[in-house]
Parts: sequence; C-alpha cells; structure tokens
Amino acid sequence: MVRVLVVDDTAFMRKLLKNILFSAGFDIAGEAENGKQAVELYKQLKPDIVTMDIVMPEMNGIDALKEIKKLDPNAKVIMCTAIGQEQMVKTAIKLGARGYIVKPFQAPKVIEELKKVAGV
Amino acid sequence: MPETKLIAELFEGGWKKVEVIIGEKSMVFGKEKIDFRNITDLELTTFGGKECIRLKSGKDYYLSFGDKQRQIFRFLAFNIKSDKFAVYFLSPALRGGVLVANSKWEKGYFSITESAVWFLSPEKQIRVPLNAIGSVSRDTRTVGDKPRVVLSLTHLEGKEVITSFVLCPETTLELLMDYLRRILEQQKPKEKFSEIEEQILTMVYTGVDSSSIESVLGISTEELNKIYDKFVSLGIAKVVKIRKEIELTPKGVVIVSEIAKKLGGGKGG
Repeated sequence: MVRVLVVDDTAFMRKLLKNILFSAGFDIAGEAENGKQAVELYKQLKPDIVTMDIVMPEMNGIDALKEIKKLDPNAKVIMCTAIGQEQMVKTAIKLGARGYIVKPFQAPKVIEELKKVAGV
Repeated sequence: MPETKLIAELFEGGWKKVEVIIGEKSMVFGKEKIDFRNITDLELTTFGGKECIRLKSGKDYYLSFGDKQRQIFRFLAFNIKSDKFAVYFLSPALRGGVLVANSKWEKGYFSITESAVWFLSPEKQIRVPLNAIGSVSRDTRTVGDKPRVVLSLTHLEGKEVITSFVLCPETTLELLMDYLRRILEQQKPKEKFSEIEEQILTMVYTGVDSSSIESVLGISTEELNKIYDKFVSLGIAKVVKIRKEIELTPKGVVIVSEIAKKLGGGKGG
C-alpha cells in the first residue's frame, strides 16, 4: 500500500486530502502542518509520497522540498498550489518535485496524479 | 465554404431527411433560410436519440449531418453572430486541478455569443455556456519562455472543472475580464456563507460523499441536510441522490439473528 505524508497548514485541507486518499486505498503515513514538521516526519516515517502545500508558516513547501531532497534524492513530492503560483511550481519542479495539483481540486484527478507518481 | 448541397436530417416531431444548402452567409433547409449572423447559439448535442447540431435562430433547430457533422459545426462556429477576439488559448490547461500534459497553446479566437463563450481554432471549437463559468482571474504563465499575463477561466465540462488560459493584448484582456466578471456577478448568490458552509461546498466540489462530509466535519445528517437545502434553494447545487436510512423490523431482526448463528459457527463454534 502506498504511504502518503500529507502536508498543509489548514486542518480542513489535510482532512480533505486524507479522506480522498484513504477512500482510494492509500495509507496515510502522517500529516504535518508546516514544512519543518514535514521534514521531521519524512525522516521518521519514510513515506512513499508527500503532498506538499507551498505557502505555509515556519518553513514553506519549497524549502521543505529542498530539505527532503537532501535527505532522500528519490523522494516523491507532489506540490499543492493555488491558482497564480506558477512561478513557485516551476521552482519546485526544478528542485525535483514530481508533480503538482491545483486547489481547489477534484478527487479523481488527485488520485490519478498520485497513482502516476507512485507508479501504481 | 463554397455553396454546398447535402442531405441532412431535421427534427420536426421526428427525424426527417432534408436537403440543406450551405452558402457563404446563410443556409437553407426546407422552408427555412437562416442567415448565419442571426444564429445566436450553437452546440453539438444529442436530441431525439441522435447526435446533432442545435442552432438557435429565433427558435431552436436540430440538424444531423452524419459524417459531415464536425465539419459543418466548425464552419458554423466561426460564422455565427458573435464578438470575436484574436487570441492564443490553452484549453484545457488543468482538469480537476491537475495539469493536462498534452494540451498546447493554439492560435485562434475567444468568441462571445448570447449564451456562451467559445475557444475557437481550426482544431478546437469549445463552447462554454455562460452558466458553466466558475471564475475568472489574471495569472502569469510562461509562454514561449517569457512570463506573460493571461486570463484564467475555470468552467465546468460535464462534472469536471476545467481551467483554460487566454493570452491576448492587455486591452483585450481587460475587456474580457470586465465582461466575464459582470456575467459572474449576475450569477453569484448575494448570500454570505459560514466557514462550515464553505468547507461543505469545497468538499462537494472535490467529490466527497455525504457520510464522509459528516464524519470529517463532525456534523449530523440533519445539520448537513439543512445546509444542502440552503445550497439548493440558492441555486448553487442540485439534488442528485436521496439517501435512505432504515431500521430493522422484528422480522428483519430475526433474519439477522439467523445470520449471526451462521457466522458464529452454528455447529457449536
């Protein structure tokens, strides 16, 4: 089962993503509300995929992606963005993000993207 | 298009064969002569059990052109009454919030008719009914290695939310934004929503079912139904399924007792 770490500073958005992913048969490895927590949890949990919000307090998604990539160059990170953050998405892709989803999103497409990145 | 004669089918209570003559500025079928500039709406649809073209010129006409359908539709889409703006467009750019990998920028028109906007190019003729437009905003996209300001339009296609981008001169962009915002303003309910109502709207959009919404937000079926009723009365949602909750009658309880015996290993297990 593919294990996912969900990272978003909004509790509602985390719940929503967890619900979508759980219904589709993904295992929720853990959740983090900022980039710093995400890096810590990545070390501990070694998830298969991370869904990473970009704009977050403490440490943003781009910096968290950099840290995670330092720990594990093969980490599979999917960025979650809002419309209008294309520049940040491009930076993230250059830094090794495997894909991105734009909020608000629709469940079937999110699942499709995660399955693609997970290779299942 | 040079004057073309062909046999099509016209719906008049039922499908009837009819000769259609398509000229440069008008088309003739049966007793009707339709000037293209008087066609105010056009769509590919299914009607009377057949794939056909609906065209509105005073009233609705349904015509089926068989294997020539796409070609005729494309020709009409470029010639009906509309305001056309020369643009580049990328549609669909995102589908359900996910990038559409094989979509590319096309040179064509953004066309506005009475009841829809269109993305028009020789390859694509995409009709977006005005009531299917969800939002309009400015965005910056990289086009040909340069960051460019584009118009971002979200719209519904069936049950999927599509985001399309339009690249055009600044003055055109302003004009289109202004027009589309006015359309959206007319459609938007004046009602303000509570935080929980906004969360429910987002979850419905995402595709989360009612029992999951209740469990994620910790609310009862009654509370959720009340909020759904509000959305429906405001015209921002429609009922697609009515859930049934049941409890067992004594007869049902007896059956379950029997099932339990079987499951528990009726042979003394």
